[in-house]
Amino acid sequence: MNVAEMLAAARSAGRRYLCEDEVKEILQRVGVPVTPCFLARSEEEAVARAIEVGYPVVLKVRSPLIAHKSDSGGVALNLANGYQVRRAYRQIMDRVKGVDPEAAVTVQPMASPGREVIVGFTVDRQFGPVLMCGLGGVFAEVLGDVSFRLVPVEPDMARDMVRSLRGYRLLAGYRGVPPADEGALVDILVKVSGLAAAFPQIQEMDLNPVVVYERGALVLDARAVLAD
Amino acid sequence: MPARKQDVLDSIFYPHSVAVIGVTGSSDRVGYNLLQSIIHAGFQGRIYPVHPRLESLQGLPVYRSLEEIPEPVDLAVIGVNQLATLEVVEQCGRKGVKGVVCIAGGYKEMGEEGKALEERLVAAARQYEMEVVGPNTLGLINTRANLNVTFYPMQLPRGKVSFVTQSGGVGLTILHKAVDEGLGINKWVGVGNRSTLEISDYLEYLARDDSTAVIGVFVEGTDDARRLVQVAGEVARHKPVVFYKVGRSGAVSHAALTHTGSMAGSYQVYRQVLQQFGLLVVDSTLEMVAACKALAMAPIPRGNGVGVVTHTAGPSIVLLDEISLRGGVFPALAGSTMGRIKEVLGQNPPVVLKNPLDAAGQGMQAANLGPLMEAVLDDPCIDILVAVYCLHLNWRCPTVEILDARERSGKPVVALYISTGEKVKEERELLHSRDIPVYTTPEEAAWGVSALLHYALQRGGIRR
Repeated sequence: MNVAEMLAAARSAGRRYLCEDEVKEILQRVGVPVTPCFLARSEEEAVARAIEVGYPVVLKVRSPLIAHKSDSGGVALNLANGYQVRRAYRQIMDRVKGVDPEAAVTVQPMASPGREVIVGFTVDRQFGPVLMCGLGGVFAEVLGDVSFRLVPVEPDMARDMVRSLRGYRLLAGYRGVPPADEGALVDILVKVSGLAAAFPQIQEMDLNPVVVYERGALVLDARAVLAD
Repeated sequence: MPARKQDVLDSIFYPHSVAVIGVTGSSDRVGYNLLQSIIHAGFQGRIYPVHPRLESLQGLPVYRSLEEIPEPVDLAVIGVNQLATLEVVEQCGRKGVKGVVCIAGGYKEMGEEGKALEERLVAAARQYEMEVVGPNTLGLINTRANLNVTFYPMQLPRGKVSFVTQSGGVGLTILHKAVDEGLGINKWVGVGNRSTLEISDYLEYLARDDSTAVIGVFVEGTDDARRLVQVAGEVARHKPVVFYKVGRSGAVSHAALTHTGSMAGSYQVYRQVLQQFGLLVVDSTLEMVAACKALAMAPIPRGNGVGVVTHTAGPSIVLLDEISLRGGVFPALAGSTMGRIKEVLGQNPPVVLKNPLDAAGQGMQAANLGPLMEAVLDDPCIDILVAVYCLHLNWRCPTVEILDARERSGKPVVALYISTGEKVKEERELLHSRDIPVYTTPEEAAWGVSALLHYALQRGGIRR
């Protein structure tokens, strides 16, 4: 199934919201680096996936009805062994069964820390697709340090977007902290701009957080909303 | 822009004949004032007031209907209510009128019923290939044609700046402030509901209008913002465009599921996208006028290095703040420049010699400021000079010195004469006639300088 078919299938199933694993699948196809994301529908499966991924792992609820996974207690980080995975699985299921008894989980490797940013796009009522880049990852909304550009965004413009952030120095290096891989972030921005231009069926997409390392960058979580 | 639209806009801004519909004998009414505006502005073409019963109005013969007018009509301005306007637009079409200005509100801004009415208005205009200014507008002005088809009779000084505004009230604010600032107006249009003519259409028209050198745009919101920024960006490559967008406090109207969606408030997106296309964005009507004034009067500097010569430190700190925040720099002065400054102020003057250059007590004498300004202007890293002087009852302002320095160096100069507008009037007229904008507050001077620096850098100027 190509991306357009995936989007059409979700839409014809009456869904407006794409799950993390689905968005990551789309991102991966255009060459955006993501943490792999394996579906598990039982405790046993979760443990099996965790062994494949390698500890420590992250468990996240997977439901088309739950957009904000942390808010509903659907995320467990840094699980070190099978016992912790089983316990986390049961806790997550307990918390979300009221919302979606069909919910599953995804098992993902625990990524190492780095500088967190948010990348996304939205189809603005007046402008059409607009790309966003912001500092702070999950804290982006609190900081409000974001930049917007009309899609399509070329590499030079993406770089300008990153450098126009008030807190750009956090990425450029400060007080002995080496610079983060700006090129890797620019590459993600350009590719997400490409998705926004190619798929008007997608109304909004968040890659949040994106962790930028000294070398490379990695999308840890993502979500998308389809157009009406 | 299609040739037909261009022709119609020409007929709207430079009509040979104007009909006024809805005109009455009462100065309380909009129609009366529409007619008075046209007469008062000294329009040289033919004016045809239309009223079914009246014989004459404000010294002009009145026609009973559009059909009775013996000659073709280029522009009709319609001052009747929204329902009657529709009927009049039909009549205009049959008469062969090219453009109509529809003043009345009560259309798409008023919900479904109004929207349907506006659709009928647009359909009528399209049927006869007419263009509509408005509806729901104050009207338009073109000083080049002595034309004022608003219901605000006024006489405006001619100039090179044109404004496109989505609000009559803000548009008037800008006009009055511009007049106070000694800034001449070229064209002005209230776009109203933008039924057949979008902001981008006016921009394209003004881009080709040789008498317009600078365009100021006031935006509340538009349907096709993408086209607007693309057109404006294109226009701004050869003619400076200044945008003032309101709605900073506005909350996002839709409930967003993503963080990107919830942070993409329309103001922030608008502002950054305008900047993406190289446009200058300002934050107030005062900054709009200050920016347009500098861009209309002074040449674009070759880089973003600012020099200041003053006799009082405070205003230069305001300049430093406001200009630095907008991308200007204040380069250190070269050794040779310092040498020349010391020749004027002495080897050990009681001031720190740097840029901004504060000559303190010695700077209160205009004669001393001349060689200081020349020295700073000659500095290789300085692209534009701000000359500061506080007007005084007994001391002469350095107008002659500023004129000489400007002429000698060829670099742009902005004068900050701290004063009332009234007291500075004569000096200002002289300086304005020689490419030197004069401001009376440091903020406005800084905004003017920043506008020049913005377009200097946009056009590949030197980034100091």
